[in-house]
Amino acid sequence: MNPCGATTGFFVLGRCGRPSVTVCQCGRRLCAEHVDPQGLCPECSGAQGYADPYRPGWARGLRRSHYRYSASAYGDPNLYTTYDSYDRSGFDQGDDFDIGGDTGGDPGDGGWTDS
Amino acid sequence: MFWRKTRAAIGRFHPAHQRLTMERTVSMASPPGEWAAVLASLSQHEATVKRRKWRLPARATTVLVPLIHVLSEDTARDAPIGIGADFRGAGVPGKEGPKRELPVRTRHIRKITEWYTLDPWLQVRAELRDGSVLEVRVTDRTRHRKIHKVNARNKHKWKTKKKAVQRIDARRTLPRDALVERPPAAPPGWIRVRRKDGKRTTLNATAKLGQVPEDKDQLQAILTVLTELFRWTRPAATGRTA
Repeated sequence: MNPCGATTGFFVLGRCGRPSVTVCQCGRRLCAEHVDPQGLCPECSGAQGYADPYRPGWARGLRRSHYRYSASAYGDPNLYTTYDSYDRSGFDQGDDFDIGGDTGGDPGDGGWTDS
Repeated sequence: MFWRKTRAAIGRFHPAHQRLTMERTVSMASPPGEWAAVLASLSQHEATVKRRKWRLPARATTVLVPLIHVLSEDTARDAPIGIGADFRGAGVPGKEGPKRELPVRTRHIRKITEWYTLDPWLQVRAELRDGSVLEVRVTDRTRHRKIHKVNARNKHKWKTKKKAVQRIDARRTLPRDALVERPPAAPPGWIRVRRKDGKRTTLNATAKLGQVPEDKDQLQAILTVLTELFRWTRPAATGRTA
């Protein structure tokens, strides 16, 4: 099974893990719930603008910019990098899959949040 | 009857949406699925309702809707999100405190009356996916002064002055045995945080804003205060689930 690689939650971060049905342009596997109509993951979709605030899952697009803003407001760069590394670390917890191989790049270069 | 078709359309909205339109208040505790139905109903508002009187309050679209999205992301499917929102403003009965007269020192001012209004316009309670409980309360506090002036030609003037401040109170009650760690960087000066240990550790963050943020900045102010409560717990918990 190829699990969905989408990050879940806003403050309480998690990962989806449902069976994936497609792959985003950034290489992330996505389930039906986390893929937007253009076939993008929440982060890539959010990077293109927030669009309709009534759209289900709208907050997923806000998440990254909020963490970036908060890191600046708190003067705490760990806040944003924690979000980044947490996303990556979720795939290194002894599971039988590794997102690094799927993305085809070094996940340490900010690929998760800068997609 | 005027606006008959619009009234009929409003009658087909979700009950919480109807109440928001007609009474400018919301009070509901439901799981994210039900709130999604409210959002779907709200999304029809602008296209359906043209009457100015029944427009959605600005804070409903700039604060309430995004906040429902954010909370829905962090709660389990069956966990309730309770929201009490009152967008009627501070001028309604019950929000006004007692009036008092201030001492007057100049001869041209005959009387100064001062009173405060407290408008707790947003209250939220949500049981999050990690077992913690999040509570938020946003209150606008406005000082009113009515000044009665009389000039040398016995001409009377009444002037009013207002000064509004805002208080954002957020509390997160953590699950038992949760690991709590002081974050390396202190929060911004306008946010105060308190930690109370017990069977369940409680984190309180309070922000006092010298002025009420504009509608477009209000959500960010609330989210920035909430962020402090989540900096104290490690995000490296295992067993991540959707």
